[in-house]
Amino acid sequence: MPQFDSNFFSSLIFWEIISFGILLWILYKYAFPPILETLEAREKKIRESIEQAEKNRAESEQRLQTYEAKLQEATQEAEGIVNEARDQAQRLLDENQQRIRTETDRLKTEASQEIDRERRKALQDIRKETADLALQVAEKILTRNLSDDDHRRFAQEAMDAVADHQTN
Amino acid sequence: MQDPLHAFELHQILPLSLFGLDISLNKATLVMWVVVALIIWFLLRAGSSRSLIPGKLQNLAEVLVDFIRGIIQDTMGTDGLRYFPLISTLFLFILFCNLLGLIPGSYTVTSQLVVTGVFAISVYILSLAIGFSIHGGKFLGILVPPGTPGWLLPLMIPIELISQLARPISLAVRLFANMTAGHVILGVLFGLTITGGFLIGWLPFSFTIALYGLEFGIAFIQAYIFTVLTCVYIGDAIHLH
Repeated sequence: MPQFDSNFFSSLIFWEIISFGILLWILYKYAFPPILETLEAREKKIRESIEQAEKNRAESEQRLQTYEAKLQEATQEAEGIVNEARDQAQRLLDENQQRIRTETDRLKTEASQEIDRERRKALQDIRKETADLALQVAEKILTRNLSDDDHRRFAQEAMDAVADHQTN
Repeated sequence: MQDPLHAFELHQILPLSLFGLDISLNKATLVMWVVVALIIWFLLRAGSSRSLIPGKLQNLAEVLVDFIRGIIQDTMGTDGLRYFPLISTLFLFILFCNLLGLIPGSYTVTSQLVVTGVFAISVYILSLAIGFSIHGGKFLGILVPPGTPGWLLPLMIPIELISQLARPISLAVRLFANMTAGHVILGVLFGLTITGGFLIGWLPFSFTIALYGLEFGIAFIQAYIFTVLTCVYIGDAIHLH
């Protein structure tokens, strides 16, 4: 094989070591640092962006929770207000009904008392008038001649009147 | 029919000598220079923009750098990253040598066993040096797999010694043989195409097209394997089992 021709070994080894050495030195000194720097800068940037995004997400979640809690609180408060209003309305209604009922009762009682009083007064008036009339009749009769029948009749009438008066 | 090994022959272009050492230029050394120039041009161009949103070239270089970093982190852990410049240079050098060798008329530097051998032996010596500098004499424990009973030691130590010595050899031969074999097959098929003529030549020619695609993949895979094994050997030296 031509590869085992030892005439070229020394020059191949020499130039291999020289070229590799030069290449390694130049790459190490000038080529790799900027590329590695760029890669690291990008990694850093990506990591920071992800961290920032994560932070933002956590923050917005927190805010959402706060809002939800507030919303729930507001809903409960509104429900409480509505309930209270309903209770108050019910109470007012009940009170009104109660008052009307008592008022009506009072008016009814007063009216019946009034009626009673008037009736009693009327009866008293009638009795008084009747007594007056009886006196007038007695006067007239006394001035005239009375027969036996008349006496009897008057006596009977007077007794009836007395009995009537007692039953009343 | 042309000799399929013809493509691996080297011819002196410019005779040079340094302190009696023959360092004459030939096709392989020129290709090495081209490889070095291409890698430097590629990475310096890619690194010059430093843009947070990369362009095409920058993106390619960053994918490559990230890929090699991934290999190092998977095999050696995070403390292996200090060897990143060495390992990525090794990967890029081998990859570009493999790929440039696929250009017709060019030369596959990695099809020379001396070239792959120098890399393999250097990597192996480096791993030994790292191991001894971190663990001192305890590094010899790499010859004893954990949990070995005492009476097995006379058997295990020679076996482990052989497996250790096989590491640089297999590393060198694997790359050299893969590159050589691929080009030999391509050479044979091209030879068949030419000798087959118009009537039957299309058959081996279509195979060369398919194999060319395969060789492209092998160029990547072999560079990758060489790099991964380098990482594994150095990682073994760092972590010791």
